[in-house]
Amino acid sequence: MSVCAHVDQDQDELAETCRTMQLEEWQVLESIFPDCCVSSDITQGNVRLEVSIELGYTRSIAVVDDGSIRPSSSATHGSEIRDELSSLPPLLLTLRLPHDYPLHAPPEIVSLQVTHSWLPQPRIKTLQEHLSGMWQPGEGVLYPWVEYIRSGDFLETLGMCDDPSVIRIPHPAPHLLAPLLKAHHTAAQSSTFAQTSYTCAICLAPHKGAACLQLIGCAHVFCRACLADFWGLCIAEGDVARVGCPDPECVRDREREQAEGSEGLGAGEVGEEEVRRVLGEEDIVRWRWLKQKRALERDPSMVHCPMEFCQTPVPKPPSDGDDESGWARLRTCPSCEYSFCAFCKRTWHGPLSDCPLSATESFVREYLALPASSPARATIERRFGRATVARLVAAYEEEQANRKWLDASTMRCPGCEVKVEKSVGCNHMTCAKCKQHFCYRCGEKIQASNPYAHFSTPGLRCFSKLFDFDPSGEGAGAGAGEGRGAWAGDDEWQPVELFEFVQ
Amino acid sequence: MDARLRRVNKEITDCKNDKSSNIRIDLIDSSPFHLKGSFPGPQDTPYEGGHFEVDIVIPDSYPFQPVKMKFITKVYHPNVSSASGAICLDILKDAWSPVLTLKSTLISLQSLLCSPEPNDPQDAEVAKHYTTSKRSFDETARYWTQIYAGGPGSRGKVESKEPARDEIAIAGLEKAHVDQFEALGFERSKVIDVLRRLNYRGANVAKIAEDKIVEELLK
Repeated sequence: MSVCAHVDQDQDELAETCRTMQLEEWQVLESIFPDCCVSSDITQGNVRLEVSIELGYTRSIAVVDDGSIRPSSSATHGSEIRDELSSLPPLLLTLRLPHDYPLHAPPEIVSLQVTHSWLPQPRIKTLQEHLSGMWQPGEGVLYPWVEYIRSGDFLETLGMCDDPSVIRIPHPAPHLLAPLLKAHHTAAQSSTFAQTSYTCAICLAPHKGAACLQLIGCAHVFCRACLADFWGLCIAEGDVARVGCPDPECVRDREREQAEGSEGLGAGEVGEEEVRRVLGEEDIVRWRWLKQKRALERDPSMVHCPMEFCQTPVPKPPSDGDDESGWARLRTCPSCEYSFCAFCKRTWHGPLSDCPLSATESFVREYLALPASSPARATIERRFGRATVARLVAAYEEEQANRKWLDASTMRCPGCEVKVEKSVGCNHMTCAKCKQHFCYRCGEKIQASNPYAHFSTPGLRCFSKLFDFDPSGEGAGAGAGEGRGAWAGDDEWQPVELFEFVQ
Repeated sequence: MDARLRRVNKEITDCKNDKSSNIRIDLIDSSPFHLKGSFPGPQDTPYEGGHFEVDIVIPDSYPFQPVKMKFITKVYHPNVSSASGAICLDILKDAWSPVLTLKSTLISLQSLLCSPEPNDPQDAEVAKHYTTSKRSFDETARYWTQIYAGGPGSRGKVESKEPARDEIAIAGLEKAHVDQFEALGFERSKVIDVLRRLNYRGANVAKIAEDKIVEELLK
């Protein structure tokens, strides 16, 4: 009797020691793999583990038809679907820890289930046997198990990686399993992304992935706030070509591709999906409009409908080759059916009559031609109201001043007609809008492949004039400008900018 | 505190903490948006031993618009205006990216000094000099580094030399050529000006007729 009691006592002590060891092991496991430990009914010895397979890097996964459904059809047997994946759906382990685990007994595997059944039944059995064999008396085996499954090492044991470059999964219906594996991989990736911390290269501050965006084309990551500021500014300024990845390499590639020509239309820019994740509806509408506008403006014969509410781009109608005829000026808006002259943007005035001066313009000119404080002026003022006349005159003078300024200090891009003012630098210009290379001195198109030939070929009118045109006398041209005084007597060409505006 | 200020402050701090790059960024006055950057001239170039200062203005929409930089120190380089210090570098214009920082941009300037790009010049005369005679160009660039950037051999020696010698060296010309035309009765400064403009250096000397120079001098 007394001997028996002694044994019972030993048993109790043993159970107590084992329980403590089990608790400790569970706590450690929970702190290392919080996502894997789904049940903590550890006091009763019941444990459930859900272990996803993280391959660590992207590997080729081939789901191979095992021919079990249609063994007769040799066409499908052996066919496979391949994907590049970095994680596989989890294995669910239900375990019971005996009261003398880990000292004298291994954990009992109650069940081993595989999400989406991607692992074939015979292999699950093999795996189960292998797991049981890993236990050594006196040592906890839960951590080695989790690590063995999580890392995907068990796939090798199961003979699924005979070809080291690809993991082969036999399955009765690859076309059903492959999309499930892909979906798991995508979900796992985005949750990893959301939890990882990234340093945004723009604000130089760390952000959780959830506040960041990874660009699809190049995989660069930036915080959404910075992308919103950057793209928002580009869209506000109408610089739609810069709505892309801000990384210097990507910027350079984009510049090169867009300069290379029309084929790279929008090359290196981001798509609507990405813009939508960062910006609001208002910006997106403008962004889309800018892209559309840019595409249309590549065609220099395009004219916008002058109706303020309409503004639809109107292409040149197919002509019979006679561009000299007055009819070439006629445009009819496809949207509002307004017929107008492409030159003066007024209602169609026929193929023969010249474009009319605006009524107010000729009225103001007439008024200004009269001597100041003459009775004729007073009559006009009384008829239309002094304030009205003063307003028209002011508007006319402002318009004149604007035109004068534009003529004097800007050059028209020969590609898209936009007026460009040069603040600093040499006379080789690249249009920010249409990427046309041109000479700021004479307004001629120059070849993108060898732009300096225009300035370095003796005999051309801009020969050795890469720098000499610098009306402000300040800035970049000054280095060359030092000697300008002495050059003046040479064949100095007078720029058109100095022409008087002809009234 | 707005994002621009936060970023600039961080950039200045990061640059202070980084002792390995030799790039310095200092405040000019109390504004963090007007700064002075400086770096040593790169080794094995005519700029070696010099200390180059750059004026930095940070625009309102920085870092989405490029930072404005120009040399305060006079530099003899095809892509830098010898008069104003204006710089011709793609990343300061079209190729700017908001990921670039003041430090990385200054490092790019430093490497611009290593690798001139005479086909896209900011200073046409310097570029001509570079393409005509690399050796003579290097000499002039080294001389400018001595005089303006405190390069080797500058301590006290330059001041004691006759100033006329300096002018010729600054223009990258040969003393013998200047003396030759000065002897014809032309003013020295005018001779230097004309010879520099005509790029009377290296192999070009044989190509330019003396008559042409006299013609220019008489204008």
